[in-house]
Amino acid sequence: MALHQLHRSIRAPSLAALAALESALSSFRISPQRAIPSGRRNASHQAQGRANGPKDGAGKRLGAKKTDGMYVVPGNILYKQRGTGRDHTIHAGVPGYVKYYTDPALHKKRKYIGVVFERGNTLPQPPNAVRRRKLGMLAYQMPLTTVQRETGDLANADLSASSDDAAIPPPVLQEQPQEARKTKTIRTRRDGELVETKLTLRPGYQWRQTNWEIARTALQSKAATSAKTYKPGDRFAAWRKRSARVAKNAERRSIGRASKGKKKSQKQAA
Amino acid sequence: MASKRPITQCLRCTGHDRIHILPIRNLMTTTSEPPPPPPPTDRSSSEDAPKQQSSTLNPFLVHTPRTERKLLATQSQYPIGSRRRRAALATSSNIPFTQLPYQCFQEARKILLEDRREKIAEIEKMRERIEKAQKEGTRQGEGEGEREHRVRSMRGRVEDLKVLADINDPLVKKRFEDGLGDMNKPIYRDLANKSWRNYKRKVLLQRITQMNVIPDILPFIDPSVSTSLVFGRKKVPHGEIVESTLSERAPSMELQCFDKGERLVTIAVVNPDVPNVEKDGFAYRCHFLASNVRISPTETGVDAATLNDESQVIIPWMAPYVQKGLQYQRHAIFILEQPQYSSSTEPPTPLDLVEIKKQARYTNRDGFKLRSFADRYRLKPVGVDLFRALWDEGTVGVMERLGVSGGDVEFKRKRVEPLPYKRLKGERFR
Repeated sequence: MALHQLHRSIRAPSLAALAALESALSSFRISPQRAIPSGRRNASHQAQGRANGPKDGAGKRLGAKKTDGMYVVPGNILYKQRGTGRDHTIHAGVPGYVKYYTDPALHKKRKYIGVVFERGNTLPQPPNAVRRRKLGMLAYQMPLTTVQRETGDLANADLSASSDDAAIPPPVLQEQPQEARKTKTIRTRRDGELVETKLTLRPGYQWRQTNWEIARTALQSKAATSAKTYKPGDRFAAWRKRSARVAKNAERRSIGRASKGKKKSQKQAA
Repeated sequence: MASKRPITQCLRCTGHDRIHILPIRNLMTTTSEPPPPPPPTDRSSSEDAPKQQSSTLNPFLVHTPRTERKLLATQSQYPIGSRRRRAALATSSNIPFTQLPYQCFQEARKILLEDRREKIAEIEKMRERIEKAQKEGTRQGEGEGEREHRVRSMRGRVEDLKVLADINDPLVKKRFEDGLGDMNKPIYRDLANKSWRNYKRKVLLQRITQMNVIPDILPFIDPSVSTSLVFGRKKVPHGEIVESTLSERAPSMELQCFDKGERLVTIAVVNPDVPNVEKDGFAYRCHFLASNVRISPTETGVDAATLNDESQVIIPWMAPYVQKGLQYQRHAIFILEQPQYSSSTEPPTPLDLVEIKKQARYTNRDGFKLRSFADRYRLKPVGVDLFRALWDEGTVGVMERLGVSGGDVEFKRKRVEPLPYKRLKGERFR
């Protein structure tokens, strides 16, 4: 465009043409017409160091781990992916077959992963239909609890039953509930009396009484039961106690002063 | 009592006690209503009067610590209401709310009254038009269906206008908030409906959708009847877990509908989570089924224990129980409106219970399908409530009393065989 204007200007020079010529030639000028701007431009991007380098790290092996139709069991990883700040890996919650599907009712573009119980089943399920669910549980006869066992023993307390030990099958550890497996009772003879102490398995494989049992023993001890109960507002008791304390302190102070004085004198003497 | 003395609010702010002394500008109103009567100069209500102190103290009015103590000592009564309220009551006059001597207030009332008159006139006009439409029959080029639609929309407009006429009345609002609203009147029904939809219905919908009651028992519901559930004396919020001993006795319910007229409903309590080990799935169990229960905006209480065994109850109440180890079981209570075969003015036709009771699939608890029942008798779900049950210490006793075996059964997870390459070394070759 500048050349075109230049060509025209030869024939009919005008102010506009001269200005155009000036602007066209300005790019060929060596010495700048204007002074260099005094302001300095700082870098907006880190140019050195680690900033621009490491873009070729090792792959993180994300993506699908199971394809459509594969049989999975609970815990199997179906798809590895990263979320914001955490891992959004998808895993199976039920045994079944993997299905990749879209659900326009939930989202237009997103793809979903699901597990169906039967090979022929499809996803998503119809919105108003009964959900397909599996129980995934089995019924077991509950073992007798310790309370029931004890009461059972009491019921046939006559010694004929307990003496015939061979008739009673030994308790199988597996049949006992978890709670019973973690407790054991030791019998000790104290003052000719049989004392039962229940020990519980505490963390760190230590068998000891539970804290509340220790506390109960302390609360039921002779010292605890013989202590007078505190009555708020009992001024007479408070006065007696205070006067006893004052008297005791006075006595102690007098003794202490005497002993201190002695010591001092001994030191000086030494 | 506070309603009679709203002026106290104002007095409290200004903090002066001159209402009896200063002349009130009670004639400064441009309304056509008669000017309010002068405030009663009855100062005997004030506790400052020596006469009062000598005789009896009013527990509504005492407001100094000394008189409060005296009230307790002499009359062994506690003061009623806050001290601030009592003080306000004791030191203000008893002017009716509508006659409060404030010019702006009276002007505003005037506008509201004018609006109400307009609405009532419009109602009258609409009624005339409805009557005319019914008398004259179809217009030219109008079908019978179109005429019916026209009449229906006019009736709807009348109902709207009835609400709009009273919606701005502060006294109506107060009466509703005090729980004194008459549910026979459209305005109170409308206010109650709005307050229900504002919060409780949203919570209910969230519970029944998040806990999948809706696709599991019935395909769809748009609740229009508010429900609340009471076991014994305990109110159970929607979806709460209820103790097995508490739910042993049949609950009572509050079913509040918000549109006028009586209707018959069917109440069904269905548990969709009954374990079926053979099928490795779940089955339905009906814990309660009763039909022909009459409800209206004013008749709301339904006690499942006292319904008529012959004309209403199809399946009597059975206590919910959940065996140990199982997940919680949802017990959904559905309120289904029975079809009104006759016109809305006549009482609705009840369902034929003799016929229903002959059918094994609707009288057996196990495998009861509410979808099928609702389809068969053209029932429309209008209300829903939900509570959950879980194994607890009382469950064994509940099952014993019910005569159901299996109280000593515990459910445990079934082992899922791991994939072959995940198996332990020896396991593969066994």
